Amino acid sequence: MSFLPTGSYREGDSVLHRMDAFCKLLCTILFLAGVILSDSFPGYGLAAGCLLAVTLVSHLGPGTALRGVKRMWLFFCLILLMNTAFFETEQIWWEWWIFRFSADGFFQGLQVVLRVAMAMVLGNLLMSTTSPLELAGAMESLLYPLKLIGVPVRDVAMILGVAIQFIPTFSEEAEAIRKAQTARGARFESRKLSEKAKSVVPLVVPVFLAAFRRADELAMAMEARGYRRTKGKISKRRRHLSRRDGIGLLLCSLFGAAEIML
Amino acid sequence: MKKLSYVKKAILTAACIALCVVLPMAFHAIPNAGNIYCPMHMPVLLCGLVCGWPFGLLCGAAGPLLSSLFTGMPSMAYLPSMIIELAAYGLTAGLVMRFVHTKRAMADLYISLIAALLAGRIVAGASRALIFASGSYSMEAWITSYFVTALPGLLIQLILLPAIAFALEKARLIPARYPRTA
Repeated sequence: MSFLPTGSYREGDSVLHRMDAFCKLLCTILFLAGVILSDSFPGYGLAAGCLLAVTLVSHLGPGTALRGVKRMWLFFCLILLMNTAFFETEQIWWEWWIFRFSADGFFQGLQVVLRVAMAMVLGNLLMSTTSPLELAGAMESLLYPLKLIGVPVRDVAMILGVAIQFIPTFSEEAEAIRKAQTARGARFESRKLSEKAKSVVPLVVPVFLAAFRRADELAMAMEARGYRRTKGKISKRRRHLSRRDGIGLLLCSLFGAAEIML
Repeated sequence: MKKLSYVKKAILTAACIALCVVLPMAFHAIPNAGNIYCPMHMPVLLCGLVCGWPFGLLCGAAGPLLSSLFTGMPSMAYLPSMIIELAAYGLTAGLVMRFVHTKRAMADLYISLIAALLAGRIVAGASRALIFASGSYSMEAWITSYFVTALPGLLIQLILLPAIAFALEKARLIPARYPRTA
């Protein structure tokens, strides 16, 4: 499937797959904080090394982990070029018309690209090694403090879980609809705005209709099986963390601390 | 068709969140369509209009987050401001739809849509000026990015969303706002 999302769950038996989903979510947040806080190239080197190690541990392979990044290469080149050509600095490599190419701009652009790429790989690893149900449970645990201000966390987690499960189905339907409309002569690539707008209607309306029809069927099935809104007190689910979860959290905390120091 | 039940609203919200991930991917196959149509805005606005403000708010907050996790877009740098903007769209669309009753479904829809599109842009501009680009964000930049550049997208949303809402109503997937009495 050409445009199936990169972060779809892939079954496996790696350490990362067996880790508790809540711990994995916390580790991802810690790791992401470390990546965002790092502002030196040794820091980025450490982050890249750690990400490579996590990718190897996940048994997904670098190709799968980097798939989303590879699709964005043009965007990354543009960011790098824009920063190199327009960054405000005194030390300039070369100046022409409105462009002021500089080393500072290049390194600034490189930092942005590295941060975004690493965040993408991290998100991809989390989604590829965690099943939607586990992820929904983890999100419920993470959102638990919001219950204090009256947010129905279990319902929110259920909605997010269902949404994650809908994504591959809707992707396939959207692709099928797009191909069908192209075969019927829809001109998506027209330069005229009016033609573009006209061409989008046969794509968007059926996608919404198909999505709402599926949602309607699922809602009816859930109501028929007695699913009701969760009211009153919700008992907090106890999580039994294993040694590997503890080690994972410890390593991510150490990584965050190292990134602050570097 | 009767009013939407809580479970149905919840599942429709899940569908709209999933569409926040899928629609931008489908639109990226069309050259420059992502910038023109703002495809992630459509499910959020529709969710607010159909399911109400709490669900619209959730859709606006969770849609960009899941899209960023699944596809890497929007990037982490733009994610917080986009969450605030889309959450404001969903919240306002639902709130205005709840309080405005002109006895004409089309008028209600347009009033809610225009109010949501304006409120979302004001909230997004305020968040950039006060938090994300504090001190370096001007009124001109706000007007240019949210009204001039996005004008085709705004017009297309104003045409497309009522069309989608009426198509869904006709397919009996959402209830009519003012059911005809026999």
